[in-house]
Amino acid sequence: MSEATFEPKIIGFFCNWCTYAGADLAGVSRLQYPPNIRVIRVMCSGTVSPHHVLRAFQKGADGVLIGGCHIGDCHYLRGNFMTIKRMRFLQDLLKFTGYEDGRLHLEWISAAEGPKLAQTIRDFTQKIKDLGPSRLKLAPHAA
Amino acid sequence: MDRLREKVRNLLKEGKVAGYLGYKIKEGHPLPYLFTPERLEEVDEAIVAPDDARYPLDKLLQQLATSYPDATFAVQVRGCDERGLNELYKWGQLDPEKVMLVGIACTQDQANYCECPGPWATVIDYGEKCEAVLRSKRVDRIDALAGEEAFKEWLQSFNRCIKCYGCRDVCPMCFCKECSLEHPDLMSTGTVPPDSIFQLVRAIHMAGRCIDCGLCEENCPADIPLRVLYKKANMLVKDLFDYETGAPEAGLSPWKFLGDESTMDTKPM
Repeated sequence: MSEATFEPKIIGFFCNWCTYAGADLAGVSRLQYPPNIRVIRVMCSGTVSPHHVLRAFQKGADGVLIGGCHIGDCHYLRGNFMTIKRMRFLQDLLKFTGYEDGRLHLEWISAAEGPKLAQTIRDFTQKIKDLGPSRLKLAPHAA
Repeated sequence: MDRLREKVRNLLKEGKVAGYLGYKIKEGHPLPYLFTPERLEEVDEAIVAPDDARYPLDKLLQQLATSYPDATFAVQVRGCDERGLNELYKWGQLDPEKVMLVGIACTQDQANYCECPGPWATVIDYGEKCEAVLRSKRVDRIDALAGEEAFKEWLQSFNRCIKCYGCRDVCPMCFCKECSLEHPDLMSTGTVPPDSIFQLVRAIHMAGRCIDCGLCEENCPADIPLRVLYKKANMLVKDLFDYETGAPEAGLSPWKFLGDESTMDTKPM
């Protein structure tokens, strides 16, 4: 696949109460963002296990975007405390093994932040486009 | 050795413990052995395992504790074994009241080989304290590599994996009844080498739990440098959450609780 036509696959794990509602708002506000993202709705970003992120990369995702409520706004009060612990750790581990650097991103987006959601997806898609296809996808017998 | 045997003999004689889990030479091999008060004379054959014949005594102890939940056992521990016990207490797998330590200090050679930051137990019944190794050169080497090179190197190792699950089966800290490595939704089945995330999934589970005994790496038939991976995972846990794995005073592992507040910031894109 040449760089020019590279259209990344991005998996989004969005929390039901904030980021997914933010995506709804972006939708009804008719904000544009690239269609590279495939959104999976989860009840809380804290339910996203590192397994799910790794599985997404293994199955050929070029980027993974996690969206959750801002700290203090979690519908389950402290669910996103675990999200950030897990994702910060996973980001560093992926960097150490050279699997991915910067392809896993966590962003707090509330239900009122439709424009922020659209902007985040635009920026992230552009970043992944610049990075090119994921190493894991290209590697021999990796998949 | 006499000091150790004397201690074990007294523990067994006074009925303080129902058994002592240590090592004995059987048919020319040093193997784990359970010494009991009924056969006190065998204590004369109790040995400290040579450096290259270590076994996961913590794991055997868990099995013993399951079979005899009311009994107290003494167990031979190196620094790593003791860290493992501390971690197992925290994870509710063993009762600290039911374990007595017979401590060993490792040799300098062993400590250098392991790059061990704490090569002795808190009670020392055999051996002398040696110099701890505080920095791992093996981790530093990978850290210095650029992403692409590190990836190539790791993938080369991971692709040698024959999916024998030896690393998991020997690990004293792997006590789960269901394993995500065998979960068909999380890991492809029926392929060798396994998914390249196989070792990373294990690394995630080992973060804040691995006590760096190194048995996984010694057990691995494909010579995958697992220890480097788990050492790094623990270093990250230390850096991010200030959690010292295996230290009794460190509190619970960061994965065990949400916390009263969150002061971490998301990484900028």
